[in-house]
Amino acid sequence: MEINNGVEEEEEEEEEEEFGFSRNYFLAKELGGSGKKSTRKLSDIDLVDEQELRAAASNIEPKHEKEVAALLNSYKSLYPKWVFKLRCGFGLLMYGFGSKKALIEDFASTTLTDYSVLVINGYLQSINIKQVVTSLAEVLWDQLKTKKVATSGNLSKVQQPFSSRSMDDVLAFLNGSQDKDCFVCVVIHNIDGPGLRDAETQQCLAQIAACSCVRIVASIDHVNAPLLWDKKMVHTQFNWCWYHVPTFAPYKVEGMFFPMILAHGSTTQTAKTAAIVLQSLTPNAQSVFRVLAEHQLSHPDEEGK
Amino acid sequence: MALPSAAADPLNQSTPETTENNLQPFFVLHKASSSKSEKISNGTGRTRRRIDLPPASPKKTDKSEDEKTRERDEHRYHHLRKEAFELVCSKIDSIIKDVLRDVNTSVFNEINRWVCESFNAIKSFRTPGFTEATRSFPIVADATCKKVFTGLVLTRNMEFVDDLLTFEDLGLFLRSHGCHVAKLSSLDFSAKNGIGGCLRGLLRQCLMETVDAADISILASWYREQENHNTPVVVIIEDLERCCGSVLSDFILMLSEWVVKIPVIVLMGVATTLDAPRNLLPSNVLQHLCPSKFTLGSPAERMDAVVEAVLVKECSGFSVSHKVAVFLRNYFVNQDGTLTSFIRALKIACAQHFSMEPLSFILGGLLVEEKQKGEKSGLLPEEILTYTSQLPSYARNQMAELNGKSFVHGFSELKRLHKCWSTAVLCLHEVGKCNKIRLLDLLCEVLDPDLYIARASNNHVALEKDSGVPMAGVHGIRRKYSTSQKGGFICQIVRKVRDLPTVTLKQLLKNWKKISLNFLEINEKVKDLQSMLGFEDGQFKPNVDDISKRHSSWNPLNSEKVSKAISEKAAAFLDWLVREYLRPIECIPLHEIVCFKNVEKLQLALIGDPRRRIQVDLLEFHKILKCSCCSQSGNVLLPSMHDTSIMYTLAQEHGDLINLHDWFQSFKTVVLRPCTKRKHKSKQSPLPKKRKDMHESADKSEASIQLVLGLSTLTIPLSPPCPTSVLLEDP
Repeated sequence: MEINNGVEEEEEEEEEEEFGFSRNYFLAKELGGSGKKSTRKLSDIDLVDEQELRAAASNIEPKHEKEVAALLNSYKSLYPKWVFKLRCGFGLLMYGFGSKKALIEDFASTTLTDYSVLVINGYLQSINIKQVVTSLAEVLWDQLKTKKVATSGNLSKVQQPFSSRSMDDVLAFLNGSQDKDCFVCVVIHNIDGPGLRDAETQQCLAQIAACSCVRIVASIDHVNAPLLWDKKMVHTQFNWCWYHVPTFAPYKVEGMFFPMILAHGSTTQTAKTAAIVLQSLTPNAQSVFRVLAEHQLSHPDEEGK
Repeated sequence: MALPSAAADPLNQSTPETTENNLQPFFVLHKASSSKSEKISNGTGRTRRRIDLPPASPKKTDKSEDEKTRERDEHRYHHLRKEAFELVCSKIDSIIKDVLRDVNTSVFNEINRWVCESFNAIKSFRTPGFTEATRSFPIVADATCKKVFTGLVLTRNMEFVDDLLTFEDLGLFLRSHGCHVAKLSSLDFSAKNGIGGCLRGLLRQCLMETVDAADISILASWYREQENHNTPVVVIIEDLERCCGSVLSDFILMLSEWVVKIPVIVLMGVATTLDAPRNLLPSNVLQHLCPSKFTLGSPAERMDAVVEAVLVKECSGFSVSHKVAVFLRNYFVNQDGTLTSFIRALKIACAQHFSMEPLSFILGGLLVEEKQKGEKSGLLPEEILTYTSQLPSYARNQMAELNGKSFVHGFSELKRLHKCWSTAVLCLHEVGKCNKIRLLDLLCEVLDPDLYIARASNNHVALEKDSGVPMAGVHGIRRKYSTSQKGGFICQIVRKVRDLPTVTLKQLLKNWKKISLNFLEINEKVKDLQSMLGFEDGQFKPNVDDISKRHSSWNPLNSEKVSKAISEKAAAFLDWLVREYLRPIECIPLHEIVCFKNVEKLQLALIGDPRRRIQVDLLEFHKILKCSCCSQSGNVLLPSMHDTSIMYTLAQEHGDLINLHDWFQSFKTVVLRPCTKRKHKSKQSPLPKKRKDMHESADKSEASIQLVLGLSTLTIPLSPPCPTSVLLEDP
């Protein structure tokens, strides 16, 4: 059948492309091994301090500002469709090259005015998810109070503050209302960002997303972001509706928290890099390093010999 | 309202509001307000932030009258369509739930019987006396009394996601039969939380409240307190293979100690084979298990049941086109073969339909009050009729003058024809079952409008109504499909019915009669067939064996002849069904209102492909940005291009393996090149030996800054692991 042929062709193309990538890789490897190595060194490039670099970068005129602005504006026509999907119970997942921070916040500010919106900046290094859930419950509590949607009996049950209640309790509260049009929107910039990337946090976000009073609008930037989720999370909890919205807007804020390659970074970055290398070692090797470090710490005066 | 928790991260308060919000782990953008202008403003400054988007174009203020009307309409119908979606979606949901419950009923009954037997067996071990039962430690018992009855439920499904609903239903089923039920998942059996995690989960579900102390004696005393403590406690572990073995072992050992006091019966979902517990648990734990095996229906069986209920039978009024059905089938087969993903795809299709099709809200109205449609229709608003007159299927068929009445007539005709189609498909599938033909495969064939047209022209049936394709194209289609049709499922089915033994044929006729109960014409034909085989009033009079005996005593050749003749009649009946009733939804006028056709939109919303799309974004950014400066470039890299795009393209040219220094040099060459038409030599190494034109040092440093920034930007979507392996060559 026609469509089948189409799919097959597409698959073939995909395979061809994958094959192309790997072929290039091995070709380059061969070339690299044939002794034709470049004589250039990394040290030939003048490295500057990260702060200086960032300061200088702010003076560079960004390219295609006008076109980027027009592109962002063109997405405004999709806002009604997005809000329709949210109301239908789906989560929105925005992807594509460029910062989507301004776009999503503009969407939330202009179109989601009937709902409270909480923003999580996933590009930051650490985020306390319990605090997020507590705030979310407080915002919903306010929304329910003002809208008087919930019955009075239901509301009066809440006595202790959310911050002192267990996670399960708060999630149960977020999952309580049956009113399909009473929900809080959670905007998550970079749901694949460093602060949210671990499996436990993703599980927790999935649990939040599955609550009846919560809708998620999230953005991803990494090409491998979908690997963060298993089938249960994708199909039954997040319930994503994907939107390809490349913006080509600079990752101004998001990039601030990424270590700058080729710049003289701070020591914390070095320590983090070392930790990553350590994690990749076998347990035995790790324990050898631990013994060494402990020895070093307990004998600070000795010179390492 | 101040948010105490949000205040936990007070970064530099003196910075402007926006910067502060950007540095907050989270903040409240705004709160729900009935008036749009009302925004939250509290003392901490953690509020609505400025939006970086440029202001909307000034044109927006002076909209044309048409535009205003369209917006008003859109707003009015938006709400109606959303409500209709909810109605249709919840209807689909409830139907799927019912169908799956029906599929599982026999296994559930079997499990329930086993639970009762196991409970009686536990009780027969020994009934603890009052003092023993109220002590906070287990009863000392011999090995036989430490058996934990364990039901291994084979899910026949590598993906546990489909079984979540099954186990939820199983829990409800057992609860309705008087058991205490707790459902635990592999998350409760994680090494991190240890035995405390699963115990807390168990206590929370049994006691219905959160208990801080994870102590099984609490459960024992709770069980003792229950008024009807004469019932078993069933613990369902959804996904055995994903549990942490040591935690599960501890859990089972603990249960075995307490089983006399708390009659716990365990049900484990096993995705692989019966060996799973043996692979996961040590032998000292295994000896405490008293296992039994249960098997759930296969995903394909469940799939057939769902497809029948949702897409073939008239359930919600929503239907899909041939292309969408083929996409759904391929998605099910190629993606992960889970029913859950199929259902999700269907729901997204449904949501897309209601968000795109202006008249889709009519479906919701039909569901609420079927009867009203005839009465209300005379008053259909003008704009609906105007819109309807523009529907392609309407325009093609040039139906009678469009007014409320003719619209309703057209719509009820659509429903009638679709019901006929559905009956015909079900009849075909009844035969297909004998040949193990999956309903989803059959569906893809019976929804194909081209096949219908080919069939119709083959049979010299005038294409009196909607054909979708001009007559000139019909012959081409016929040629194309005449061969493929032979190997098609319908053809197989018609062939199969000729080969069916008499007994099966009798059963088949019975089923056909049931299916066609609401269709007099079809029903009559089935009855005729039945009477030929000796049925009367739905009752089969002579015994099958009698007939065959009688026939055999008379003349075996004759009996064979009779049965052959009936088989032929049945085949002719199927032919007639296909010819008369198998009209796909896409070939019926006004189908756009109920049928979702846009397969591309569905694919985009369902399967995000960040890996490919982000790389394409980078390589073909000018197609998206539509800038005048880079669009004409072809393969030439221009300095006006995005830095990241230049870098990524260069990296691609080097086969993903690039020396950083070379990369920089190539990048510099591109960036500092004056905007002239110098041809880029992609084959040659982009490393220039010596550039004749000297650049100013300021330009150089700018290029290096651009490189570093571009590289950093590139790491956001591509690292780690970075596909562009940077080779740093040390001296």
